[in-house]
Amino acid sequence: MEIKVKCNCGVENCSEWAILELQGVVESQPSIANQIQGLEIGRLCCSSSSSQVNYTFTVGYHELSGTKVSLKKPLLVLKKNKQEEGSVSNNEVDLEVIGIIRHKILFKNRPKAIISRPQVKDKKASD
Amino acid sequence: MATNKGDINDGGAESFLTLGPDNSVTVRYHPDFGPHSDLILLEVPDDSVLNDLLRGRVTIRGQFDEDAVLCTPSSTYAMKFVGTSNSVFLIPPRKPNLSDPQPNPLVSVLKLAPGNVELVLTAPRLDKLRFLLMQRLYKIDEEDEEDCSSEGLYTWHDLICSIQASDEELREGLKFLSAVEINGFWRIVHPKSVNMILTMVLTNSVLHDWSLDALVEEEVLSVLESDGFNTTIVKHCLETFGTKNENDNSKLWGLDKKRIAVHFAKQVLGSNGGKMRLEIFIEKWMRNVQKGTPFDLNMLEGEVLYETIGAETWIKAFSVADLPLTPDARFSVLFKERAKWAWKDLEPYVRDLRVPGISSEGLLIKYTRRVQPNADAEPIFSAR
Repeated sequence: MEIKVKCNCGVENCSEWAILELQGVVESQPSIANQIQGLEIGRLCCSSSSSQVNYTFTVGYHELSGTKVSLKKPLLVLKKNKQEEGSVSNNEVDLEVIGIIRHKILFKNRPKAIISRPQVKDKKASD
Repeated sequence: MATNKGDINDGGAESFLTLGPDNSVTVRYHPDFGPHSDLILLEVPDDSVLNDLLRGRVTIRGQFDEDAVLCTPSSTYAMKFVGTSNSVFLIPPRKPNLSDPQPNPLVSVLKLAPGNVELVLTAPRLDKLRFLLMQRLYKIDEEDEEDCSSEGLYTWHDLICSIQASDEELREGLKFLSAVEINGFWRIVHPKSVNMILTMVLTNSVLHDWSLDALVEEEVLSVLESDGFNTTIVKHCLETFGTKNENDNSKLWGLDKKRIAVHFAKQVLGSNGGKMRLEIFIEKWMRNVQKGTPFDLNMLEGEVLYETIGAETWIKAFSVADLPLTPDARFSVLFKERAKWAWKDLEPYVRDLRVPGISSEGLLIKYTRRVQPNADAEPIFSAR
């Protein structure tokens, strides 16, 4: 079987997606369970010192620090589409390139606990 | 993706990536946050593959029981999913909202990605190609036979759907097998038919005083056509045994004496496994080949093996072109044929092996055991 990987955006117009990556798992309070859509995770701040640009991500009472990284090998976002009935190809699925990721903000340092007590909607747990 | 719930219009990936010093933004779960298992992250190894992907020149090929491969026009990649223990939050681009052109300083994450697919350059999987095309060898006069079904026959499109190789590698594979496209199907010509046509070309060359270095294509095709031979097959014979020399307007073919000598050597010996005493072979070979054709046993490298039985030397047909293409299967067959190989005998049967990322020495180290009693002795290779 042959599945074509379609791309309607072409070389110039591929939409840019991004990644926020951290070590560990973000958990919500048990009372929220799975109703997390729309819920705030945290606050991302940017600061610069000497020549470096730093990022701080505050989740609950944890503060993470990280940097923006350019991916040596970009990631493409592919979407699997189920074929409609009566389509030309007899495959059940096709693939489409819908975005490209060239940069991510990566938090790989241990989180720092903030002493003050912010509004806790989410808490961060690290492994 | 479904439309945003409510009046949310966030800045998306752009706001996220262009966040400047002394600025901040809230990161939240997208209203449509969920597993979105239909979204896959694919790591692209280099710009060439990226270009092919963005220009829609890439396909995924394979049967349901095979691991899928990704093919660009010229290369084949194995697809490997690599998981991560990090939390990788995927942020889509901002969806332009015409009613509110100013985005809120807000970033939404749509999905937590469990990992991404990596591409590993791999050798095309072409052993299956020979297997498929051997199902129905093309014989001259085939059209006269009763069986006109297309079962066991493959078009280019059929091959693309069955063989895990890029278009370019598939074409090379077909060329390597001396396959020819007849009536839309790719066929390997039966050895007896190949021999018949070559012999006809050579006989007619003598009859019509044609020069084997400069056969006129039209002349050869028309003479053989009047003898009842399909022009596609005759042309294929010229391609198999000769080289085209486009001179002025008439197409000229020069037949390669070495390819012809090898062909007749194989005719004398029969198919793989056929063997005879060396003197008898040489005598028969000399009789079959045109006068003036050099026939040097070195031409048969990679086509024959020699055995000493008692005081006699025997020669046996063993063609590298009939052996598997993947290293593990190739070495397995070689060591089944002979437990120990001297390097000079082994080399013609391994020199064509290609695996991306491994050198020929690497292949030997991986699949063989090398023994060399002392510095002067020749190394001997056996199975690992």
